[in-house]
Amino acid sequence: MSEPAASPGPAASPGPAASPGPAASPEPAASQPDSTRTGPGRLLVAVYGLFALSASARAGVQIATKFGHAPVAYVLSAFAGVVYILATVTLTLGSPTARRIAVLSCSVELAGVLAVGTWSLADPASFPDATVWSGYGSGYGFVPLVLPVFGLLWLRRWSRRARTPGNDRGVSGRYRRSGRWRHSPW
Amino acid sequence: MSSVNGAVPTTIIVAGLALAGYALLMTALNRRMNVPLLAAVGVLEILLLVEVGIIVAKLTGGQRPAALATLIGYLIATPIVPVVAAFWGLMERSRWGPAVIAVAGLVAAVLMVRLHQIWPVIHV
Repeated sequence: MSEPAASPGPAASPGPAASPGPAASPEPAASQPDSTRTGPGRLLVAVYGLFALSASARAGVQIATKFGHAPVAYVLSAFAGVVYILATVTLTLGSPTARRIAVLSCSVELAGVLAVGTWSLADPASFPDATVWSGYGSGYGFVPLVLPVFGLLWLRRWSRRARTPGNDRGVSGRYRRSGRWRHSPW
Repeated sequence: MSSVNGAVPTTIIVAGLALAGYALLMTALNRRMNVPLLAAVGVLEILLLVEVGIIVAKLTGGQRPAALATLIGYLIATPIVPVVAAFWGLMERSRWGPAVIAVAGLVAAVLMVRLHQIWPVIHV
């Protein structure tokens, strides 16, 4: 497993770019995602989903069992959880309206991690217990700080593509209407 | 006994990090999901189920952590992570499928550290 060079399984071919995978489609097409949840968006939605689950579940347990211990931190954790859920759902849907909501939630998220991060460092007394956004997300490997930036960059690419005339590779594009995506081998 | 208990989480951390490294290498080399990578995810899933079994055995033996609700939440979520990642990654036909698997490997390693923090009886 740690020796990838020695494990070119049945699916991996020696040819680096021209791998005749099961899809039999031109390889460069894979670099052109068809919706906000494919391509790099696949990774983004996965990480957002992870944070949506962990932040909201943790906040739920904390509010239910020991709310009085650190009310500010727990309410902020719950708010972060809601923002993550919203971003996960809208990035998965990818419609023009969903993308607008996704831009909004990613912006709120970025503002939140910067504001709460600064607040937690300036006034530690208000945070006897950590939130997702404490210390700019230092307890979570600073992923909460990086995630909204990548989310906004990804969404900006989409709004640009939608504005380009003649480019209909967006979510409502020819690709989707043709139904080709249904025949994906995966 | 304690060394046996610690062996499984340590193996999971090493396996999770190795899986993440291998999957990220596939992403860097522009490879799609393939059978060896799925098999590696399967191995990680089995290891996680063994660890959940060990912890459940401790609970049924009468031991209780301070944060029981959190521990039960982790016990439910832990085995789901590789399964969801495998399905989500298989839906992707590009290099970003293995990238999802890399996240699952890292999460598995982090979960073992968190389990130890929740209940120090679980050795790492």
